[in-house]
Amino acid sequence: MSSIVATFEWLEGLAWTTALRESPYGYPLLETSHVAFIVVFAGLVITMDLRLAGLAFNQAPLAQIQQRLLPWQIGTFVPSALTGILLFCVDPLRYYRNVLFLAKLTFLLLAGLNALAFHIKTSRKPAEGWDQDSSVIAMARLAGVASLVLWSLTIIAGRLIPNNWF
Amino acid sequence: MPLVQWCYDLGVSQTLRDSTYLFAVTQALHVLAVTVFVGAIAVCDLRLLGWGPVGQSRASIARGAQRVLIWAGLAVLATGIPQFITNALTYYQSPLFVFKMYLLAAALLFTATLRWRVAVADEGRWPSWVPRAVGAVSLVLWVGVTISGRLITYYG
Repeated sequence: MSSIVATFEWLEGLAWTTALRESPYGYPLLETSHVAFIVVFAGLVITMDLRLAGLAFNQAPLAQIQQRLLPWQIGTFVPSALTGILLFCVDPLRYYRNVLFLAKLTFLLLAGLNALAFHIKTSRKPAEGWDQDSSVIAMARLAGVASLVLWSLTIIAGRLIPNNWF
Repeated sequence: MPLVQWCYDLGVSQTLRDSTYLFAVTQALHVLAVTVFVGAIAVCDLRLLGWGPVGQSRASIARGAQRVLIWAGLAVLATGIPQFITNALTYYQSPLFVFKMYLLAAALLFTATLRWRVAVADEGRWPSWVPRAVGAVSLVLWVGVTISGRLITYYG
C-alpha cells in the first residue's frame, strides 16, 4: 500500500501535474472536456440501451442501433478515458481513497463487462436475425437494462466525487 | 430583481441550501438527465450528418428521439430549476450562466424549428448539404450548452 502511495506522491510532484493543478485553466478545462466527452459517449450508450431494452427507437432493427453506434461510442470513450486518467494523475492522492471515485470505477468496470458479455453472446448470431430471435431479444433487454443502471450510477457517482462525503 | 429574490427566498431553495446532500444529488441527476438528452440529440445529428444508423430514415430516427428528448428534457428542467432557485442571486449575475441560457434558447429554437423540419422532410427534399449542416450546427449548439454549464462551477 505504501508503495502505491509513494507512486502517487511521485506522480503528484511531477512538473506537468503540478502545473496543471495550479493553473487557473488547466484543471477546469481538462475536467470540462472530460464531462463533454462523457456526456456524448454515455448519451450514445444510453440511446443504444433504450433500444436494447425496447424502450425507444423500436422501429429500428436492434443491430442497426447497436452496431452503427459502436464506432462513435468507442471514438468518444477514448478521449473520455484519456482525460479521466489525466485528471487522476493531476491529483492522485485526493482520489485514490475517495469512496465515490472507487464506486465510479467499479460501476464503470461492471458496465464494461456487461457490454463485453453481450458482444460475446451475440457475436456468432448474424445481425439480420436478431429481431426474430427471442433469445437475442431477451439478452438485449437484460443487457440494456443493466447498462442503463450501471452507466447512470457511473455518472451519478462521478459527479458526486468532489463532495468528499466519505 | 424581485423575481430572483423571490426564487431565492422560497422554502425549497432554503431546504436545498441547508442540506448537505440534496443539492449535490440534484446536480448529479441533472448531469444524468443532460446525458440522456444529449444522447438522443447526438444520434439524430449523426444520422443528419450521414453517419450512425443510416439504415433508418432521418425522419424515423428523429421521431424515435423525440419521445426521449421530451422525457429527458423534463428531467433536465426538474433538476435544473431547483439548482437555479437555490443560488438565484449568484446565478443571476453570472455571465456564464446568462450565456448558457441564451445558448440554450438558441439550441431549443433551432431544434424545434429548422432541425425538426429538415429531419422529418422526405429524403431528397433538400440538397444533401442541408441536413449535414443542420446536424453539425445542432451538435455544436448542444455540446456548447453542456460545456458552458460545466464552466459555471469554475468561472461563475
